[in-house]
Amino acid sequence: MDYLAQGLIDAIRLLMSLDEETFSAILTTLRISSLSILMSLSIGIPCGFGLGYFDFPGKKPIRSVVDTLLAMPTVVVGLFVYAFISRRGPLGEFGLLFTIPGIAIAQTILVLPIVISLTATAIESLDRRVRFTLISLGAKRSQIALASLLEARYAVLIAVITAYGRAISEVGVSMMIGGNIKWNTRTITTAIALETGKGQFSMGIALGIVLLLLAFLVNGSLAFLRKRS
Amino acid sequence: MRGSDSPLYRLEDLAFFYGERFELHIPKLDIPEGCTIGFIGPNGGGKSTLLKILSFLEHPHQGTILFSGVKVTPDANPFRRQVTILPQEPYLLKRTVFENVAYGLKVRGEKQGIRKKVHEALEQVGLMPGSFTSRSWHELSGGEAQRVALASRLILRPRVLILDEPTTSVDQSSALLIKESINACRRKLNTTLIISSHDHLWLNSVTHDIRKVYQGRIVGFATENLIFGPWKKSTDSLYEKILPDGQVIHAVSPQDAGATAILDPSDIVISTAHPDHLSAQNTLSGIVTQLSIEPFSDTMIMELNCGGQTLLCRITSNAARELNILPGERVWAVFKASSLRWY
Repeated sequence: MDYLAQGLIDAIRLLMSLDEETFSAILTTLRISSLSILMSLSIGIPCGFGLGYFDFPGKKPIRSVVDTLLAMPTVVVGLFVYAFISRRGPLGEFGLLFTIPGIAIAQTILVLPIVISLTATAIESLDRRVRFTLISLGAKRSQIALASLLEARYAVLIAVITAYGRAISEVGVSMMIGGNIKWNTRTITTAIALETGKGQFSMGIALGIVLLLLAFLVNGSLAFLRKRS
Repeated sequence: MRGSDSPLYRLEDLAFFYGERFELHIPKLDIPEGCTIGFIGPNGGGKSTLLKILSFLEHPHQGTILFSGVKVTPDANPFRRQVTILPQEPYLLKRTVFENVAYGLKVRGEKQGIRKKVHEALEQVGLMPGSFTSRSWHELSGGEAQRVALASRLILRPRVLILDEPTTSVDQSSALLIKESINACRRKLNTTLIISSHDHLWLNSVTHDIRKVYQGRIVGFATENLIFGPWKKSTDSLYEKILPDGQVIHAVSPQDAGATAILDPSDIVISTAHPDHLSAQNTLSGIVTQLSIEPFSDTMIMELNCGGQTLLCRITSNAARELNILPGERVWAVFKASSLRWY
């Protein structure tokens, strides 16, 4: 068990000394997850709002598909995105394989169902009185829609944070699309997998600590927002 | 747009269903402009549905609504912003008090003088703007939330203000402030007030035009008592309903055992001593629970609790003084079995 204790001591030393390789993986993770969250929100919130707010033919089957995709395995997403952006794929000319934008696109696909489904649930769960109140105060259709989204803002933020948590902690997509290239596409999770394979626990533990801290931050924010909503 | 001779609202042959169930049926109802009209009746009787229809939140499945002489449909309603409703449990937007009260003006595109109007509206409902405008929706008591919701309607200077059970979940002082606010609104703006309430005495202090809504129909005026079945045959010509304390109400030939009887409060005679000499079949002992003056008349409405059955009785103010009737006292209510009409 000594090697674990030694690994923890070395990990703290790495973090305290602002080790460049460790912080490169942390920054890459934050860059990729932020990019993927921005893309998934810009697509997912309007789609989720539409799915939760409007009644239209085919709404239930679409909802079922989105809910099913919540459990989509990361390696399956990795496989499809790889097939599309590899040199032989239809998007091969853009050279996205083994790049940060490539990983971000795959993560966007991975977390999009979370954003859509939880946003739709947030809108569907709105108090029935919201609509009547807005109408009785004189709001028009577009104003009712906008105010409804604002009323659900805390629940929508829960969707955002849940999606962020999924993005920073996934390993399959980052490994398959990013290739775990040192100083370039190596993320916290792929670095932990690699270092553990090599028997180098110190960097793995250091990155694990950072990942856990991020997870605590995400969960803390979730608990706060749940209380507010 | 306004027809000068037509009432503000005219409802004709109106019906509303919940699924297969008949929720509301009103053959005809006129509501003149500038009046105050109240609706009273048991839960599930259709009051809230009627108010939603009058506030254009729901549209009837059958019949027509004329507003200012113009037929209103869900797709063509130029009057929607002239009518506003304060629901029984109002919803406050998840914003500050200021933003809640100002919302209706903002969606109308108003930009000038909003702060001043919000302050005036809050003062009108007895809330100090200085300590309330920046509060969040969750930092208010039930009564304060109700008054903020009322302020957000009053600021719109509506042509029609509809209130659904405005005093159900508020304390006495809030109920008084709500009454003062809506009376001021009517005086200053000639706003038509349409109010439903369980609180007969509160409603009676706001308007004398109170209709009773029961099982989806307007069955008469507010003070009329509803006496529910079951009825059992007691003699050849009489039926009886036994009250929880063992007292009995006699009636003549109900349509069925579950029929509901209507009793006019003017048909009840009140006595402070047991009336041995009267021939009426019904003599009920009860405790006076409330007394209120009927507006624009020399009569009072007395609320009695007769062994669990609430009875409203009408007496003249002189009689109340002579008999020295006060809440808490025991009196006897006497009425004929034939005074009970059947719904």
